[in-house]
Amino acid sequence: MAVDVRTTSVPASATPGSRRPRLPRAERLRQFALFGAPGLLVYTCFVLAPIAISFGYSLTNHNPFNPPTRFVGLDNYRLLFTDSEFLTSLRVTTILTVIVVIVPNVAGLGIAVLLDRKGWLYNALRTVFFTPMVLSSVVVSVVWTRMLDDEGLVNQTLRALGVEQPPGWLSDPRLALYSIAIILSWQMLGFCVVVYLAGLQGVPNELAEAASIDGAGPVRRFRSITWPLLAPSLTINTVVLLITAFKVFDHIQVITHGGPGTGTTATIAYDVLQTGLVANRQGYASAMAIVMLVIIAAAAGVTLKVLNRREVNL
Amino acid sequence: MKDSRLPWLRPVVALVISAFFLVPLYMILVNVFKQGEKITQSPASLPDPPTLDNITGLLSRTDNLFWASLTNSIVVTTLSIILLTVLSAMLGHFLARSRSRWARVAMLLLLSGLMIPPQVILMPITQVLRALGLMTTLQGLVLFNVGYYIPFGVFVFTGFLRGIPIELEEAAAIDGASRSRIFWRVVFPLLRPATASVLIFLGVWIWNDFINPLVILGPSQGTTITTGIYRSIGQYQADFGTVFALMFLATLPVLIFYLFLQKHFVKGLTGGATKG
Repeated sequence: MAVDVRTTSVPASATPGSRRPRLPRAERLRQFALFGAPGLLVYTCFVLAPIAISFGYSLTNHNPFNPPTRFVGLDNYRLLFTDSEFLTSLRVTTILTVIVVIVPNVAGLGIAVLLDRKGWLYNALRTVFFTPMVLSSVVVSVVWTRMLDDEGLVNQTLRALGVEQPPGWLSDPRLALYSIAIILSWQMLGFCVVVYLAGLQGVPNELAEAASIDGAGPVRRFRSITWPLLAPSLTINTVVLLITAFKVFDHIQVITHGGPGTGTTATIAYDVLQTGLVANRQGYASAMAIVMLVIIAAAAGVTLKVLNRREVNL
Repeated sequence: MKDSRLPWLRPVVALVISAFFLVPLYMILVNVFKQGEKITQSPASLPDPPTLDNITGLLSRTDNLFWASLTNSIVVTTLSIILLTVLSAMLGHFLARSRSRWARVAMLLLLSGLMIPPQVILMPITQVLRALGLMTTLQGLVLFNVGYYIPFGVFVFTGFLRGIPIELEEAAAIDGASRSRIFWRVVFPLLRPATASVLIFLGVWIWNDFINPLVILGPSQGTTITTGIYRSIGQYQADFGTVFALMFLATLPVLIFYLFLQKHFVKGLTGGATKG
């Protein structure tokens, strides 16, 4: 092309992507070895390779205390979907996840709207609501066990109020799962509050004032202005809650050990480690783990897709 | 907008709800200073008279439960977050500035690591660590932490790097600085807010981590402060004095850390959240 060199060489920022000259191959490799490789190597060894190994095991009957290991094809997977213990853990995990996605999201939004004011009181209360997020799940579990035990604080209070047969929050097989869901919701609520508060602070005041002048009441203003603008906050909260609830393990291990009764609170995460590291049926447990991974990836992917579409459609 | 009617309603409702959040924290605080048997009898009462027996008893135990666990937790957390910051900043910078197709593949693989439950990889991890001779060692736990949490670090750093103009680095390159020099002298200092987020969040998560140290350090090889609490419930079913003292001392550092660095916590969380 016949272009005047003197005029095109001066403004260098016309096409940012292509303007940088590509480095020679040897130099790029050297930089990769120096900057990219160390992190990727550790990630490969401790995350990617273990997933591949898990998948490999899931096709065998591997049990370190019962050799030899044989290739069994998809038998483990076929067995899983007729295994009532696994199906129960799937059901338990689903119930827990649905509650934990909904309760902190709804309550968190309410509390964020409540706290969306200036002043020392509201600053202090924000600190309070966020505190459970920095507590260890083990500490949270032990304290809540002391509160919800048959003779714990809650039932002592109920008895003092005249309730003769207070419920066994953690000992009744029909209740324990819901108690765990509430404990987990309590712990995650602060996260949702903080994310929604940040979203609310991004809603321009002029919009609400303009709507108010046009005669919109508080409910209408919330529905038509605030709520659509909170879409990104809803997305992040829902995805984080979904992933957190789906992999709950600590609370089950500390509070109920999967009981009371058989498997009433045994989540998939709990079941995988029981089968793999306690019963040592590692081939079978690996198949469970792979199914768990597929479900969590699919659920997170679908949720992101649906909620992101909502953000675009504003 | 102003609260037109009932101006007192909002603060009152907010206070009542927050009480629900304070009860468990209150429980830890009053029961640490209470005699063991009173913890089960009257869990909510004020300690009367308050006693330091639980704490002094824990600190002077012959099996060194507290001091050994505390040392392990400090060593593991410190080493893990330093390594994680350095490695994920370098990797994040490399990936953010690379134009290769492979960099995008690597990024995608790393981001999917954000949702992998530890249960999926813990069984093979024990074998990888055994093959390296690092099972039941603190080094093994540190390496695992680095691999498991590096996606979070990379996620935070690459997000932050998008806002830093590449011209700065190009100018330094024209002046003849090497890539390492550019990274450490020009880029890394600019990443300070992202570094703060990574250090704070990973510090708290690793300190509080339960299942990973439980499995990797194994039953006999000492505990971190979190697995120590778990083991002391199992062993001394009735001795809630010890359990509460341990929980109090395990939580105190994180809580102080949080109260001082609150702003960074919130910024770190919402930085990612509001970008959308």
